[in-house]
Amino acid sequence: MSPAGCSHVNGYKVDNWKQNLRVIYQCFVWSGTAETRRRKAKSCICHMCGAHLNRLHSCLYCVFFGCFTKKHIHEHAKNKRHNLAIDLLYGGIYCFVCQDYIYDKDMEQIAKEEQRKAWKLQGRAFCFLTENLIQLLKQGHLLSQCRHICVPFVSTGIGEKYTTWEPTKRELELLRHNPKRRKITTNCTIGLRGLINLGNTCFMNCIVQALTHTPLLRDFFLSDRHKCEMQSNSCLVCEMSQLFQEFYSGHRSPHIPFRLLHLVWTHARHLAGYEQQDAHEFLIAALDVLHRHCKGDTINDNGKKANNPNHCNCIIDQIFTGGLQSDVTCQVCHGVSTTIDPFWDISLDLPGSSTPFWPLSPGGDGSTVNGESHLSGSTTLTDCLRRFTRPEHLGSSAKIKCGGCHSYQESTKQLTMKKLPIVACFHLKRFEHSAKLRRKITTYVSFPLELDMTPFMASSKESRMNGQYQQTVDVLNNDNKYSLFAVVNHQGTLESGHYTSFIRQHKDQWFKCDDAIITKASIKDVLDSEGYLLFYHKQFLEYE
Amino acid sequence: MSKDSQMRAAINQKLIEMGERERLKELLRAKLVECGWKDQLKAQCKDVIKEKGLEHVTVEDLVTEVTPKGRALVPDSVKKELLQRIRAFLAQHATL
Repeated sequence: MSPAGCSHVNGYKVDNWKQNLRVIYQCFVWSGTAETRRRKAKSCICHMCGAHLNRLHSCLYCVFFGCFTKKHIHEHAKNKRHNLAIDLLYGGIYCFVCQDYIYDKDMEQIAKEEQRKAWKLQGRAFCFLTENLIQLLKQGHLLSQCRHICVPFVSTGIGEKYTTWEPTKRELELLRHNPKRRKITTNCTIGLRGLINLGNTCFMNCIVQALTHTPLLRDFFLSDRHKCEMQSNSCLVCEMSQLFQEFYSGHRSPHIPFRLLHLVWTHARHLAGYEQQDAHEFLIAALDVLHRHCKGDTINDNGKKANNPNHCNCIIDQIFTGGLQSDVTCQVCHGVSTTIDPFWDISLDLPGSSTPFWPLSPGGDGSTVNGESHLSGSTTLTDCLRRFTRPEHLGSSAKIKCGGCHSYQESTKQLTMKKLPIVACFHLKRFEHSAKLRRKITTYVSFPLELDMTPFMASSKESRMNGQYQQTVDVLNNDNKYSLFAVVNHQGTLESGHYTSFIRQHKDQWFKCDDAIITKASIKDVLDSEGYLLFYHKQFLEYE
Repeated sequence: MSKDSQMRAAINQKLIEMGERERLKELLRAKLVECGWKDQLKAQCKDVIKEKGLEHVTVEDLVTEVTPKGRALVPDSVKKELLQRIRAFLAQHATL
């Protein structure tokens, strides 16, 4: 099984062998077009017994298909002295003299190219688990001290099949010059690092912890995908990239994010100063600045840079932007006017605020859909989401001009999710700033580790309206399932308080980040906490 | 060829022609990675290689040793799901 190939292929490598081999791959192994598929369906059967299973092989020297398991191809090889055959399932080349599959560089090259061609022709979307991204990182697990190494990153938007990484000459060179290796085990703490509080900056520290542990964002920055177009030194995305280098460097001493703080003050003036700020406001401001500074990375399908701010395809938009559908129904003619607005987070009202929480409108379902602990009277995240997506009667003082009736009529408004972002951030509105009072609402809201957003989707609402009340749990549709990966908490009052966060390092392994102090936390600690900002990540990612 | 294997061959042909076989293969691949089957088999293969020695082991050795275990380790839920998909496909293209 030597990687240098066997000498017996040399007898095959004559005349137009490359083209012949390509034809075999195109027609019988990886059939890309409908025509080749039809031919494959008809002709790929054993010439001796007619079976289509049993590891069918094709002779490389003549037109003969034979079973491998029943040794029909072996007989043919012996009788005709044709020593090479190709496996029609996986494209491997078998040499009957060596009695094993052989690996010839030229043939492998042809095989890879033909496979890519066939996949492109079919142009489908593929599913792969989030965990696979971490596998990618593990396989390319080359985090040396301060150099970042480019790992070919298969991101959403490219219609290519996932293939394992093979290093180029340049990458091999880099590997030799940077011999230090870091192995990622299931218990390792790489990526965890404390952050010094620079004077009430815990609000910033928590968000930084959440962002550095967002898997897609981490993969984007660690594979060096930001191309900076800013002339000055004030690009927040570059600083973010530097931050990831610091976090994954393996240093255990806390990091001092003074440069990040300075850049935030420069770009988001309203957050400047040493007073305590709102972590949620910081999150939105940070995402906004990152989105604006990502201009260099936005490439259209045509290879041109996107100039349209509404159709940005930067990493921030890819990860955080969702679509919120607002339907306004006229009570008289029942005409519906729909708008879809982009969002980065969902702000949820809580019971105990000035605006009444209950009652919910009838037709709410899925009270135990997310398996949350429904202690008597305690509110769940699902309750808040149901309230958020309930139809709301707008009252006689807020009549809307109806396009159908051509007059002002009473209407109901309903919000649903049109498009879910890859990372969903839920903001529990604990800080009340009404005309009379400013206070913090400390009502406990229980939230789950796994969240299914299906009941709150615009598509679910449509099927409910079409009379399909019984929503069969579609085993194959995993598109709306989310996993919790970060929780930001606020302790104290509006006047003086402190932010801490819980971060998911591996599945079922959580850590509490309190500025410079990182401690191990149990899942119970996480789920019992008050919860202010909840970060959920899609469980299954698909290419578009 | 018995009626049964004739039917099998006809279904297989239809699946290949419509490209459904490729889709099913990809679905199966994803499911087997998810449930950890791929990792289990990888471990099995490593054991066989250690046993036979890296210089002498052939693909045949791996196939003979690992196939029965691999078949047994496929979870029922995956089998059910694939069967469902195939049934749905056949229902759609009922001209068989």
